[in-house]
Amino acid sequence: MTRFIRRYAAFARIAIAQARRERAELYGRAAFFVVILGVFSSLWRAAADAGLPVAAEPRSLVWYLAATEWIVLSAPPIHLDIQEAIRRGDVVYQLGRPVSYVIAEFASALGLLAFRAPLLGLAAFLCAYAFTGWIPPLGALAIVVPFGLAAAALLTALFLWTGLLAFWLQDVSPVYWLGQKLMFILGGLMLPLTVYPEIVRRIAALTPFPVVLGEPASFLLKDAMVTPGALVRNLAIWCCMTALALGWIFRRARVALTINGG
Amino acid sequence: MQPAVELNEVSKSFRVRRARSGGASARVRELFRARTETVLAVDRLSFSIAPGERVAFIGPNGAGKSTTLKVLAGILRPDAGEVRVLGLVPSRQRHALAFQIGTVFGQRSQLWYQLPPRDTFELLGRVYDLDRRSHAQRIAMLTAVFELGSLVDTPVRHLSLGERMRCEIVASLLHSPHILFLDEPTIGLDVSAKAVIRELLRTESERERVTLLLTSHDTGDMERVCTRVIVIHGGRLLWDGPIGALRRGYLKTKRVTLWSDAEHLELAMPGVRVLASGSYRTELEVALDITPLGRVIDAAVRVAPIRDMAIDDAPLDDVIRALYANADNRSGAS
Repeated sequence: MTRFIRRYAAFARIAIAQARRERAELYGRAAFFVVILGVFSSLWRAAADAGLPVAAEPRSLVWYLAATEWIVLSAPPIHLDIQEAIRRGDVVYQLGRPVSYVIAEFASALGLLAFRAPLLGLAAFLCAYAFTGWIPPLGALAIVVPFGLAAAALLTALFLWTGLLAFWLQDVSPVYWLGQKLMFILGGLMLPLTVYPEIVRRIAALTPFPVVLGEPASFLLKDAMVTPGALVRNLAIWCCMTALALGWIFRRARVALTINGG
Repeated sequence: MQPAVELNEVSKSFRVRRARSGGASARVRELFRARTETVLAVDRLSFSIAPGERVAFIGPNGAGKSTTLKVLAGILRPDAGEVRVLGLVPSRQRHALAFQIGTVFGQRSQLWYQLPPRDTFELLGRVYDLDRRSHAQRIAMLTAVFELGSLVDTPVRHLSLGERMRCEIVASLLHSPHILFLDEPTIGLDVSAKAVIRELLRTESERERVTLLLTSHDTGDMERVCTRVIVIHGGRLLWDGPIGALRRGYLKTKRVTLWSDAEHLELAMPGVRVLASGSYRTELEVALDITPLGRVIDAAVRVAPIRDMAIDDAPLDDVIRALYANADNRSGAS
């Protein structure tokens, strides 16, 4: 077991080292918080001032959005790396090693996540505070952070699943974009799912998206969507299902494997 | 002695997508039902390689070389036939086999692009469960042998192709593999970088008794690194034997260069082709099965006094070209 952990921790470590040298994208993502939270904090304040019904107190909503965006932006776009490795044929090296390709890729992605999440979390915190002048109760933040990290890890696994489709598809970006749009709606990226119509909420409950976004972030609202215990259960269920889906798709990919250049 | 590599009637095919010809309706049909075609990349291929042998594995583009290497490395599964590498079945025992083989793919990279090669070397130490101290010694030794010096601490993106390739080979040798599969390791390299890589491969193979199976389109790689050549075409075995035998045995021609007192040496004989003539130097290609070499020399001496001469086998490039052309003709005829 120790050997197993040491082996895959090495992938995480080298991914962190690489991420430290590729910081430009991270700065871009951090800057994105300024724009998105600036726009939405103004929007919700204006909506509240105009007497329009808003899902929750505007400042809570800004923090909710900061949390969901933090989760989305922290998850590394691993599907692009996998697609590129398959296109270039570099995947032959990874497939020929005495390690699980899927676990190695996931470990690398977790390394990237471990590097990005603290920096983006800090950016989210500072921006949300700057636009609201308010900090949610520390107890709520203490719940959101670990659940947010777990949710980002699950989202990373979903990106990994998308990336594995590159064994069949030339370009996985249509699948990614479709998944992302569904996640934004069914996960409750900008507004909590409680304000959505019943039918949407029912459909959303059949997907992993609320577990990834809305449920962890909802602890920043007055009324959380779930209890911490329920969220632990939901995360565990979706993690197991994603792991099974990853194993299944990778076994099929190995059989269907053709590699560029022979 | 157990062979290092053994293939017996191995076949591997791929289904590839083919675009439908036709207008808009064909394109719409394509969206719902793609037209696929089965391409036979390797066709009942058999050969074996003894431990420590250095074998060139050549063939024209699309001949099935890279596919065969990937089957041997356990990356691809054969459709039919038996494969054994170091006594293991690659498709079923890939994990165990991976500890004993190394792979170098000339057009791919295993090094982390933004990081120095040393970081990838350290990662590979973990991947192959190498003892930390002996791994550090191995890195130091290979770094010295491959003359990497400070390159090992330079980010990969700053390395030249030749420097990167030396690092790629070191990365593949770190776990002391018994077999090294190399897929076009000198592709894109300049003449001196190629020479360095060839020399290193040959000496490393001799020093550590590593079996080499090398694909390349460069005859220099074969001649300077390998002792045996396996030629495939259309996925099938075309030739298997020592490189010298291929040179001498397949194309029965010799290159004869004569330096004489005559500025142009006129020799009209059956089976003799003048390749170049002028400045008291004449280069001939002699088909030995039509005219023996002795008769050509006798005839040349009768035309003008000969001051010097050189007799060489046909260049390996010509031999291989002729081999491919014959195979093309045969497959065209059938």
